[in-house]
Amino acid sequence: MNCEVCQLKELEVEHFEIREVLRCILHTIVFHRALGLVRPKDVDLELFEITYVQCGDVELEKKIDEKIDHFISWVEKHPNKKSQICLSFYEVKSKQPSWFTNKTERLYWEQWYINLNVTQHPKHHSSKSHHTKLVVDPGESATEERSSRRAMVEASLREVLFQIIKFVNEKKDHVPPISEGVIYFPYEITIPSSSDSAFGMDMIKRMLHSGHPTMLS
Amino acid sequence: MTSTHTNSHTEAAKMEQVITEFFYKSLLIILESRSSYVSSRNYSGEQTVSSPSSSSSSSSSVRPRDKWFNLALRECPSALENLDLCRRSNFEPVVVDVILEQKPLDWGPASFSPTSDLVRNLSSKNKNSYFWNSDQQDESGSEMKCEKIIERWFVQHESRKGRDCNSGNRRSSCNNLSALYKKLILMLRSLYVTVRLLPAYNIFRDLNSSGLICSFKLVPRVSSFVEPLTRKEEVDMQRFWFTPVDTSCGRLCLSVLYHSSISDMSSESSTPMSPQFIPDYVGSPLADPLRRFPSLPVSHGSPSSLPFSRRHSWSYDHYKASPPLVSFSPSPTHSESNALVSNPSSLGLPPMSLPPHPPETSLAHKRNTNFDEYCPSPNFSASPSPSPSPSLPIYIPRTHLSKALLRSESAPVNIAAPKLANTPALSGKQNLPPCPPLKITRAGTSRTDNIRVPAETDATIEKIFSFGKEDCWKYSGVKAFSNSSPRISCSRSSSRSLQDDFDYSEFPCPFDVEDGEMMDPGSRKSQDAAVGALVRLLKNSPPLRQNVSLNFSEASRPEILSNSIPKQSQILEAVTVEYAAAPNIASFRLVASKTTTDALEELRGYKVMKNLLLSEGGKAYTSNVASAAEHSSTSKGT
Repeated sequence: MNCEVCQLKELEVEHFEIREVLRCILHTIVFHRALGLVRPKDVDLELFEITYVQCGDVELEKKIDEKIDHFISWVEKHPNKKSQICLSFYEVKSKQPSWFTNKTERLYWEQWYINLNVTQHPKHHSSKSHHTKLVVDPGESATEERSSRRAMVEASLREVLFQIIKFVNEKKDHVPPISEGVIYFPYEITIPSSSDSAFGMDMIKRMLHSGHPTMLS
Repeated sequence: MTSTHTNSHTEAAKMEQVITEFFYKSLLIILESRSSYVSSRNYSGEQTVSSPSSSSSSSSSVRPRDKWFNLALRECPSALENLDLCRRSNFEPVVVDVILEQKPLDWGPASFSPTSDLVRNLSSKNKNSYFWNSDQQDESGSEMKCEKIIERWFVQHESRKGRDCNSGNRRSSCNNLSALYKKLILMLRSLYVTVRLLPAYNIFRDLNSSGLICSFKLVPRVSSFVEPLTRKEEVDMQRFWFTPVDTSCGRLCLSVLYHSSISDMSSESSTPMSPQFIPDYVGSPLADPLRRFPSLPVSHGSPSSLPFSRRHSWSYDHYKASPPLVSFSPSPTHSESNALVSNPSSLGLPPMSLPPHPPETSLAHKRNTNFDEYCPSPNFSASPSPSPSPSLPIYIPRTHLSKALLRSESAPVNIAAPKLANTPALSGKQNLPPCPPLKITRAGTSRTDNIRVPAETDATIEKIFSFGKEDCWKYSGVKAFSNSSPRISCSRSSSRSLQDDFDYSEFPCPFDVEDGEMMDPGSRKSQDAAVGALVRLLKNSPPLRQNVSLNFSEASRPEILSNSIPKQSQILEAVTVEYAAAPNIASFRLVASKTTTDALEELRGYKVMKNLLLSEGGKAYTSNVASAAEHSSTSKGT
């Protein structure tokens, strides 16, 4: 079984938009991979005129929110950096235990790369003396600029969601069969860690677990 | 052989059932997100458990049909109605048209809705007005229903010809069935997400979430055979294909044609349209009791002492050219207009004409501004300019008023047809709030500045009233704000003359002008008549002092005043005192029955009389003094 990889279009978001954008994308992907009996839950984004769908699993929601929190913490420590979040679906295969490997093996059959470019919020750049000015009187042009920027982000997010839908529709054969009683496939969310080297180590670990090189396209 | 045949027959039956249920499920997903009823959207919010299958307590709430494709959705009546369509063995295509229907506009007085009027006019001015198919007409011929297909969904099974669908062994069939089922699950998941990303969903969500009156509604229509869309209709639509899923004897196809330009209407239709009443608007009886006509010598008092002054509507502190004797009874229509003005979003701005998000805020802001411009209100009329005059619509001094009236009566009829043509049904309407119709007709005008310009000078006032009947209309709208009658505010037809607007005798207004009272300010009553009027007035008033009353009776004739010098001086003083005191009493009696205009006239009369008497008394005194001086000099000389 090959591992299908989908590189989603890069999104340029501001710090306060990260949570909503990531929730939307991650839940949309997971909903498409929650092939067990679900009662979908519609969620309206507050910042954008987009409604996304959750599969309604509370535990799943908590885990995703935790990962998003970790990612936001990482972004705060590494401002103005392009980042990538990887959502992987795998199958657990039992394996002969050995010195270097565990009993179980993860076979990744699908990976989604969410590319974000978190731009710094304008008021973080400004000094304290300008902070009040920016907050108190942004001006009409700033409001219009913010509105147009928000519209652009919304359009980009919508494009990403359609990209997910198209990918799910075009590639179905690699999806494993549905197990009885399982709502969604085992998944893993990988966020950049504190150092780039550690991020690279995560990639190597994944390669060891999967048993084949990760295809990055 | 028999078992193989039975197995294949079973497999075929299962396949058929899967396909049928796929049709139904896809129909359900589409209809429950496009029909205005309780949908899964609300249904999912009620869930308290993580998933239907994880908890035993919730398993009972999962209906058998919900388990198909592992997607538990709420029942949809319209989907159930079309279940037969899905159950056809030949798998005819199912087409779902999602129609955006504009509710018919009723021009009757009882059911007039200013919002629908707005919709009509603004949608007609919309550059995308061709969007609507308004070829449908009611049997009565008076209503026009506009509808537009904004989405067209196709669900169909394309049979594969020239191949036996039941061929293959049992195992491969079973694998095929499970693989097919998995793929259909994926397809339906995608469908569920897609219907919520398309523009029509925003309209559906807004229509469902707001329980207020909207002029649009979404109507899904399910059928097997539909007329193909015209090229004009299709050119603006985009198509989205779901990857077909192969079945044993064909493939299941799912696609949608959708309008991407209707995203504007989502925000428009979400605007609440119900009117809201502001009970404590500035100048309302609740906030400010009706103020009575103040005492005549108001020059003694300051305008700020008036208890019912409306700070926002005029700044009569500064307007010294005219006395601040304006009786203002706030009108309910004004309150309605205030309510509409202060919350324009509640007016239900038409869904069609609002642009998308980035200019939407600016346009909404502009729309609010237009409302404020158009419907002068206390809030609006608080002009930042240091002009000495109050806002034009609220306070107009009578001198200027008379000039304006004369001028407007003589001005030629200059009605801009497109402006007033939008409101043909407004003529004669009696129960309309003033603001929205004003807005409609002003939408096409370029005279928005006129209302905003405060009446700083007479020239400004003259300019405003020099536009002919349209300004009559404006003026009547102005009048509405100072009257308590909605009838006046509705009499905004171009066919009405200015004079007609002032024939409402039951609605006293400071700006009322009666023909009888139309007089040249320069004319004066004769001195005798003035004195006589004063005397009559004083006679009617209760005597304050015995000596004064006696003196008055003696001074009933001007001849007596002129002949009796010592007495004249005393009488003059008494009269002066009484003049100061009596009007206080007399005025209270008069206020109840007279209007501000009458009061102004009387005041003017009193002033004339006073001046006359003073001049007479001064002459008499002078002559007395002179004669006394002569007498004394003569006596000294002797």
